[in-house]
Amino acid sequence: MRLPGFQLVRPANLAEVFAARRTYPGARLLAGGTDLVVNLRHGLGEPAVLIDLTAVPDLRDVALEPSSLRIGAAVTLERLTSDSLIAVHAPALADAARKIAGSAHRTVATLGGNLCLDTRCLYYNQSAWWRQSNGFCLKYRGDRCHVAPEGNRCRAAYSGDTAPVLLALGATAELADATGSRWVDLQSLFQEDGAAHLRLGDGQVLLGVRVPRSSGLVVGYEKARLRGAIDFPLAGVAVALRRENDRLADLRIAVTGTNSQPVLLKECEPLVGRPLDAALLQQVDKLVQRQVKPMRTTLTPAHGRRRMAAALAVRLARRLWGE
Amino acid sequence: MSVILSLTLNGRSRTDWVADNLLLIDYLRDVAGLKGTKCGCDGGECGACTVLIDGEPQHACLTLAARCEGRQVETIEGLGQPGRLSPLQQAFRDKLGVQCGFCTPGMIMAAEALLRRNSQPDEAEIRAALSGNLCRCTGYVKIVEAVQEASTQGAPEPPSLGGPVHAVGHRVPLIDTEEKVTGQAAFTADLPAHALVGRMLRSPYPHAEILEVDVSAARALPGVVAVITGEDCAQTFGVLPITMNEPPMARERIRYRGEPVAAVAAVDASTAEQALQLIRLTVRELPAYFTPDTACGPEAVALHEKYPDNVLRAVHDEFGDVAAGFAQAALVREERYECAEVVHGQMEPHATLAEYDANRERLTIWSVSQVPYYLHMMLARCLGLDESRIRIIKPFIGGGFGARVEVLNFEIVTALLARAAGGTVRMNLTREETFLTHRGRPQTDVRLKLGMSAEGRLTAAECEVVQRGGAYAGYGVVTILYAGALLHGLYDIPAVKYDGYRVYTNTPPCGAMRGHGSVDVRHAFECLLDTMAGELGLDPFAVRRANLLVAPVQTMNGIIVNSYGLSQCLDRVQEASGWRAKKGRLPAGRGLGMACSHYVSGSGKPIHRTGEPHAVVELRLDFDGGITLLTGAADIGQGSSTVLAQIAAEVLGVDLGRIRVIAADSALTPKDNGSYSSRVTFMVGNAAIEAARGLREILVRAAASRLDADPAQIECLGERLTVTGREDVALTFREAVAAALADGGSITTKGTFTVPLEYQGGRHRGGAVGSTMAMSYSAQVTEVDVDVDTGLVRVRKVWVAHDCGRALNPLAVEGQVQGAVWMGMGQALGEETRYDQGLPLHASLLAYRVPTAVESPPIEVHIVECLDPNGPFGAKEASEGSLAGFLPALTNAVADAIGLRLTELPITPDRILEAFTRRQRELRQRELQGTARGAAS
Repeated sequence: MRLPGFQLVRPANLAEVFAARRTYPGARLLAGGTDLVVNLRHGLGEPAVLIDLTAVPDLRDVALEPSSLRIGAAVTLERLTSDSLIAVHAPALADAARKIAGSAHRTVATLGGNLCLDTRCLYYNQSAWWRQSNGFCLKYRGDRCHVAPEGNRCRAAYSGDTAPVLLALGATAELADATGSRWVDLQSLFQEDGAAHLRLGDGQVLLGVRVPRSSGLVVGYEKARLRGAIDFPLAGVAVALRRENDRLADLRIAVTGTNSQPVLLKECEPLVGRPLDAALLQQVDKLVQRQVKPMRTTLTPAHGRRRMAAALAVRLARRLWGE
Repeated sequence: MSVILSLTLNGRSRTDWVADNLLLIDYLRDVAGLKGTKCGCDGGECGACTVLIDGEPQHACLTLAARCEGRQVETIEGLGQPGRLSPLQQAFRDKLGVQCGFCTPGMIMAAEALLRRNSQPDEAEIRAALSGNLCRCTGYVKIVEAVQEASTQGAPEPPSLGGPVHAVGHRVPLIDTEEKVTGQAAFTADLPAHALVGRMLRSPYPHAEILEVDVSAARALPGVVAVITGEDCAQTFGVLPITMNEPPMARERIRYRGEPVAAVAAVDASTAEQALQLIRLTVRELPAYFTPDTACGPEAVALHEKYPDNVLRAVHDEFGDVAAGFAQAALVREERYECAEVVHGQMEPHATLAEYDANRERLTIWSVSQVPYYLHMMLARCLGLDESRIRIIKPFIGGGFGARVEVLNFEIVTALLARAAGGTVRMNLTREETFLTHRGRPQTDVRLKLGMSAEGRLTAAECEVVQRGGAYAGYGVVTILYAGALLHGLYDIPAVKYDGYRVYTNTPPCGAMRGHGSVDVRHAFECLLDTMAGELGLDPFAVRRANLLVAPVQTMNGIIVNSYGLSQCLDRVQEASGWRAKKGRLPAGRGLGMACSHYVSGSGKPIHRTGEPHAVVELRLDFDGGITLLTGAADIGQGSSTVLAQIAAEVLGVDLGRIRVIAADSALTPKDNGSYSSRVTFMVGNAAIEAARGLREILVRAAASRLDADPAQIECLGERLTVTGREDVALTFREAVAAALADGGSITTKGTFTVPLEYQGGRHRGGAVGSTMAMSYSAQVTEVDVDVDTGLVRVRKVWVAHDCGRALNPLAVEGQVQGAVWMGMGQALGEETRYDQGLPLHASLLAYRVPTAVESPPIEVHIVECLDPNGPFGAKEASEGSLAGFLPALTNAVADAIGLRLTELPITPDRILEAFTRRQRELRQRELQGTARGAAS
């Protein structure tokens, strides 16, 4: 499957990136290309211009700031797995990165690209012939969602593995355009719509993320997948918790692979202040099962993915409590 | 837009104009002419195109060439060349980390990147580093060993030229490995040619009557050279002479989504694809059937007129008195098993290159076929050409596993296009199209009933099988017959009844896949054996031992078993796995399971009954002393050329290096029926022995005359012809050649082999299927972990013993057995085709989950050599028989681990979780009933 024709623009700095954004309104941003190039080869989009971000030095830094760790959007997943600052300040992020795809993907795929990963669906990630034979779909060129035909929105699933860890850590994201940059809650970058899950304005660029330091949280990431590599998550769960003696002082759970956006679970607060016992774990299980909404977007049935998500959350919570 | 690209490629700088959207893989292959980097998927799924960019592994298929400006790109060609291999290439060769060789360049580059970063990786690190590179032949076992070898040895041993005195029975690397590890092996898509690009229009409808295929606009597009439709070929093709019902392109009727409808040859790919968009297909849709139930429904429209009930073949066989057998049994159990459809997933996508010479009316085809002779016949039939005008050449083939044991539509379409265009046409299928071409193992429902005595002795078996066959016959009749025939030949069963139904459906046609026909039924059988053993309180090994055959024996359906090593196989794996010590003592969630299986060594009766020998080998010897072995047998990565060379070298007592094999070029090599049913080693091997004996006799006669000795006293060994008892009286091989040539110049000998009639099957209808001269036997034990939270099953280790008769090349036998077991693991754990209204949901290597190196277990192979009197040096089948056993061994191990017996394959996490839910529901119900009873009393 061949790529459509396009012009490749390679800005050397951020100013040129913003200028290119202005000059080419429909352009797509290209980092590692492990998601975008695959999709373009499958006829999912025909952008006239690709703006290559990999030559921009500012986006490739990992830096320790007084109260946070700052990671540039173009830092590769491979670097996440091996960087010494990340190993100290966000080891779960390294672990999540290690669980993505294969080694030849990770050498080029970036944190920003993983966060901005396109949503995925059985009816979307197919060839042009396939989608045309199926009357296309709501996400691209069609008007019907084959997953939930009665609904009016796209159910494609978000599958980035790095987002849950960052959400659980309370990370913020830096969004910028020619007028300047601002830091937002990472969660606010997303919305529950498979066809428009990224709330990145036209002209905006994700520059990087900031992870708060010394939150006292212990964090872990578990990923359910059939194979030990390559696969996107059937469900991916990050749990962050802080233990004070025999009480939970903080608990955060974030899930990917089940909804059209990564989900930071609500209603964890009532569990705080209690010991992590069987009763609490049962509540964690219920909390996850109630809030995640996997749909028929993968070959693995939705109810199985919901159960896996809950089981992984419980397992992680138990493990982290003991750490 | 284009840019100037300057980069360093394998140490040399070069500059080219490249388009912005040019992918690195196309730059390497088409601009730089480096064909070692392979394309195995539709983008980033298989790793075959892995190259190093500034020392880091990357997918050439996801990298824009323009982004390589100023960078160092290294491909397989940069590592080493034949004759001076890099340490890693050498290790892949020596350890047989290579079979078909298609994944090899990418695999080696990924491993190279690892070793440069970490010169002493442990096994887990190796598996992780290679986890993005899929291999379909090796099960990764020998690949991991090769990387370990390269990492532990600074300087590898020099390549062993020639070899030991005996060529047979030694661990010999495949004779064509140098080409494969250096990227020099030319697969079909790599062949140089100034060719037009062929593309096919595929049907979006699952079942429809064609009203019109309007190609006028496509034909008018500049750059389009030929457009053809089903109207351009009135002939159908197929396997069995009675069921050749598939058109190369749909004609009048479309029967599955993805069926070719029209084809275009154009000057380039984008023109060809644009032309496809201009073809207007008008149809009247018909009701479509995606399951055997609906296809056999009362009102169902027939897919083929000749089969009004949509049943291609119903088989009803009964041997022995089944009713009496069940009446005698202490325990009778019946169970249903469902096995999902699976597919070969060979790493090389389908491809054909066709050259038509209009003036001389000659057609030359290079294709990915396992059966060049069948292709020859079908091309003649479909193009209406005299067979003498066709030449079929088999290049390197990137695996087959049965995907290519029948002629495939694109092969004929490419030839038709070449003729229509009056030139050369290249057709490279995408991975999606390769899936659409299918020919996989059908979805199979098995209902099995067994009777057993209290001691575990089988008294009767009754089996009903329904296969969802897809839209055309293909091998269908053979598959449904195999399913019944191979109920026999493994155990001694007094009575066997079999009912099989092969059903047409509006899905891509199924075909033959490794372990053809036997696998899903064997799964059912070995699972039910275990269930019943459990009920009777018997050990699984004991139940198998209670039912062994005693060779020589003829089974009720006419299979003659002369050699039978199952008992030794059982002993070996029971011992090696520590079964007695472990069974019942493993921690929670861990289980041990075992099973047996078998397979034919070549189908006894050929499909086309021409009266010719079943196999022919020719040997040529000339002034240079080199021996050329000519065979039509298609080496598809399994190593058949190597084993034939070994056989000839053994008979002649010469170095292996003296033998050169030319395989599967119809202009040069004798006809061969093809590489299927594990027939090549057995049949072609026997022909090679005869050819080599013929040559030896000529050399011996010449030597005897020169040495003034009786020919009966001449021995051929170690490149010398000696007189028995007179060590000092000898000729070197070259001297003997000179003596023999002096009599009449170059020498050609021929050997043939024909399966004797008594081995061609029972006299009942369909009795030819399952017939063979020798059966291989296999027993295996597997140990698994089941994650009770997520339902994920991981195989910790497999111990397998395979009776292959004489192991002509133990290294290759191990590789074949590991590959078979591992392919069984894929089917058992995760591989599965799915369709939504006939549209495949699995048509990528991301959705169709070929296992990666990470979750693939160590597979310990024990070779059992129960020599067969008819095999070449006693050899039998080695590459299929161990597949079927893995599935039930796994199911049995899962049952051991969690106390639940799953009857549906594959055993995916969701199915395990569902089984847990079912059990909980049943327990609750039982509790409730208990409470209710308690209350009532």
